[in-house]
Amino acid sequence: MKFMVIRKADKDTEAGVMPTEQLVTDMLKYNEEMIKAGVMLDGMGLQPSIKGARVRFDNGKPTVIDGPFAETKELVAGFSLIQVKSREEAIEWVKRWPKIDGGGNVEIEIRQVYEAEDFGAEFTPEMRKHEAWLRDAAEKRSATPR
Amino acid sequence: MRFMVIVKANKDSEAGVMPTEKMLTEMGKYNEELVKAGVMLAGEGLQPSSKGARVRFDGKTRTVTDGPFSETKELIAGFWLWQVRSRDEALEWLKRAPFTDGEELELRQVFEMEDFGAEFTPELREQEKRVMAEAEKNRSKS
Repeated sequence: MKFMVIRKADKDTEAGVMPTEQLVTDMLKYNEEMIKAGVMLDGMGLQPSIKGARVRFDNGKPTVIDGPFAETKELVAGFSLIQVKSREEAIEWVKRWPKIDGGGNVEIEIRQVYEAEDFGAEFTPEMRKHEAWLRDAAEKRSATPR
Repeated sequence: MRFMVIVKANKDSEAGVMPTEKMLTEMGKYNEELVKAGVMLAGEGLQPSSKGARVRFDGKTRTVTDGPFSETKELIAGFWLWQVRSRDEALEWLKRAPFTDGEELELRQVFEMEDFGAEFTPELREQEKRVMAEAEKNRSKS
């Protein structure tokens, strides 16, 4: 099973407050444990929403709104992608998140990722093959950045 | 530069409404263009928050709350990871995404190692490189 682990934003992440050396150390140690267990697939931090944008589609037409976005509770500050045997295992890993993050005060959301077997007949055999090909090609790209 | 493109949730995604064959076809075409242009690095759809959980950290306590979560505006339904030359390029691709009505997407720049300062010491940078190379191996086996 795959899960996305979402580190929600707070006023510090939105203000671009950088992590301390201790937090970077603790986070790397935590990531390294998850990697060695074969659990961690990817992970990264997101820059504050002031550098971002939103695009809304109405009747097929896109409208762009630049950040920052005031509703911090709606924002993501970072995420990782993990592979585990159960939802319980995902929660156990997340409970071990570096305790000094956010001054000991953070909220992490765990969401299950859709995999091919979760879809029905609308995801035709041809589409499934195509998707597998796309994932493979994209995976090769992520190993060799432009 | 890398960007995360976040597809925000709505009541359909939270209700587990599956995409139609037409939508899947159009998305497949769009994803193929992204891959061919060397832009697409990753992409995933997320199951409704009813299958998820939140863990709140408060000093020493850890509180687990099971989904669903009612504030749909705080939820995401999926994401892409893109590699582009500029924010403008990312926006150009984003405006061409096959969404038609009321969907909202958010573009956020990813932190790269060069964005960090001295707190990310040379040793920590080396460790990060190793860790990420191992993560990539986990991905290719997944």
